Amino acid sequence: MSMKETLKEKLGLTDKDFEKPLPKPTAWSKPFWDGANQGKLLLKRCKDCGHIDHPPYLFCTACSSEECEWIEASGKATLYAYAVNSYGVPFPFVEDLPYVLAMIDLPEGPRMISNVVQCDPEGLKNGMQLEVVFERASEEITLPKWRPVKGQAINLEAVRTINGEGNDQNL
Amino acid sequence: MSKAEFAIIGTGEVPCGIYPARSEFEIAYRVSKMAIEDAGIDKNKIGAALTAVHIMGSEYNTEMFFGRLPEAIGANNCRVVATTVSGGGSSFSIRKTAEGILSSGEAEYVLVVHAQRFSQFTPNEQAVFFAHAGADLEWEVPYGMTYNALAAMMTQGYMEYTGTTIEQVASVCVACRKWANLQENAMFRDKQLTLEEVLKSRTVAYPLTAMMCNVLCDGGSAYIMTTAENARKVCKRPVYILGEASDYSHRTITKSKMKDLGRMHEFYTPVAQRAYQAAGLGPKDMDIFQVYGAYPFANLMFLDAMGIVEPGRAGELVESGETSPGGKYPASTNGEALSFGHTGTGVGFSCFVESVRQLQGKAGRAQVEGAKFLIEDCGGGAFMDVHFTIMGNEDPNL
Repeated sequence: MSMKETLKEKLGLTDKDFEKPLPKPTAWSKPFWDGANQGKLLLKRCKDCGHIDHPPYLFCTACSSEECEWIEASGKATLYAYAVNSYGVPFPFVEDLPYVLAMIDLPEGPRMISNVVQCDPEGLKNGMQLEVVFERASEEITLPKWRPVKGQAINLEAVRTINGEGNDQNL
Repeated sequence: MSKAEFAIIGTGEVPCGIYPARSEFEIAYRVSKMAIEDAGIDKNKIGAALTAVHIMGSEYNTEMFFGRLPEAIGANNCRVVATTVSGGGSSFSIRKTAEGILSSGEAEYVLVVHAQRFSQFTPNEQAVFFAHAGADLEWEVPYGMTYNALAAMMTQGYMEYTGTTIEQVASVCVACRKWANLQENAMFRDKQLTLEEVLKSRTVAYPLTAMMCNVLCDGGSAYIMTTAENARKVCKRPVYILGEASDYSHRTITKSKMKDLGRMHEFYTPVAQRAYQAAGLGPKDMDIFQVYGAYPFANLMFLDAMGIVEPGRAGELVESGETSPGGKYPASTNGEALSFGHTGTGVGFSCFVESVRQLQGKAGRAQVEGAKFLIEDCGGGAFMDVHFTIMGNEDPNL
């Protein structure tokens, strides 16, 4: 039986309890999510001072100007730090365990929190190069995620062990 | 530096742990009574009653917003009620509120209360709430972000960029537990903890194991604050607020003012230094380092800023045992969130009342002999802010 079915039976949960929380775009973030739907990673840049805000806000956090443009980012980034969630996550994410959360640094300046996917968590290394991938989450929302760039020289020295005790106890 | 303006004259606290039958109202009323009795004042002298917010507790919060506390404890001359909240920084912001009320002359004594009963909520409700407290709903939560993941990635970065080992991180949990074993109100007062147990417990969010994460529980505490001048008249051993300093960084962790997890001290150290300077004291004068980090890496990060080791080397200090009972640099003397228990906004309050107890010589088996001065910290959200306070049982600037 899947983790989801077990939880439904044990705790009387319904499918609704497993619905993923999705972004609710604001007036000033909608272009980002529209871009993601088209496979583009967009950043909000101030037309007056050139400052890039991510997350975007109502007006430029550097100079308060409301004149902005959306630029397309390179789609490349660097892994700054990461965690591997293995236990004790909200119900909508239990079937994804284990999954990687990371601080991802864009060459354009901003840092983002996202998932590193299509990877072996034990092979992750701070400083490794990442590239953006787009995962459609619903009709309205596509989530930009990241995967390691293939062929880069990474030291896969197995210094990190992920505890494999299973994730279904005591939930 | 200038002479102290405010002082604490009494505290109250109930045991921390899972006590489903003890309501948050009972906690609030009980700790109020204890603090008033400990201060040795008449309840009708309380001029203001301040409450911290109860995390996820809408009924309690509504009652406190609308003045339940003075009525329930019979504080018949109370003139001001308020709830002050800024997450884990609440123990600081509520004290600043108390200071303002005392300065206004509207109250001679302020009662400050925290109460929390997490056990009324399911583990999933708590997980969802804390995921939202520590992460951005639009930019982080959709990726499965949790509070433990936030702390885990910061731990991973702190270790990588300072050279701190996982054993050193785990040693914080052990040191905290040793202190908690001496505290009658600590959730884990009767349970020992070894380094091996910390390292071998289940991985929750790599590199964090279960024993490196907090257990949410029930608890509460209270204290009575007055002017330093009045405190000297009515209390044998008041505890003075000698220096305070704060800074705010961000809401979203990606917007942290200091982006380098190996150099977080560059954000925190100047704040600690301003607090020391306000008190006219330095790290060498401190008898206790009352760190509230909640997660072990954060305990190290704040120790790094307090001026006793080269930044990034706090892990070696804790591993050496010098912050444990009997050590040269007693730190987190109630075991803080990790071993005293995590009561939401209450961790800062429990560390604060423990600081008062230590300086009043009322800390029981955990008493640091002759403790005269200490530094404590608090902060909230996704490491959004920091507040350092220097406290003492004498005023060096008088």
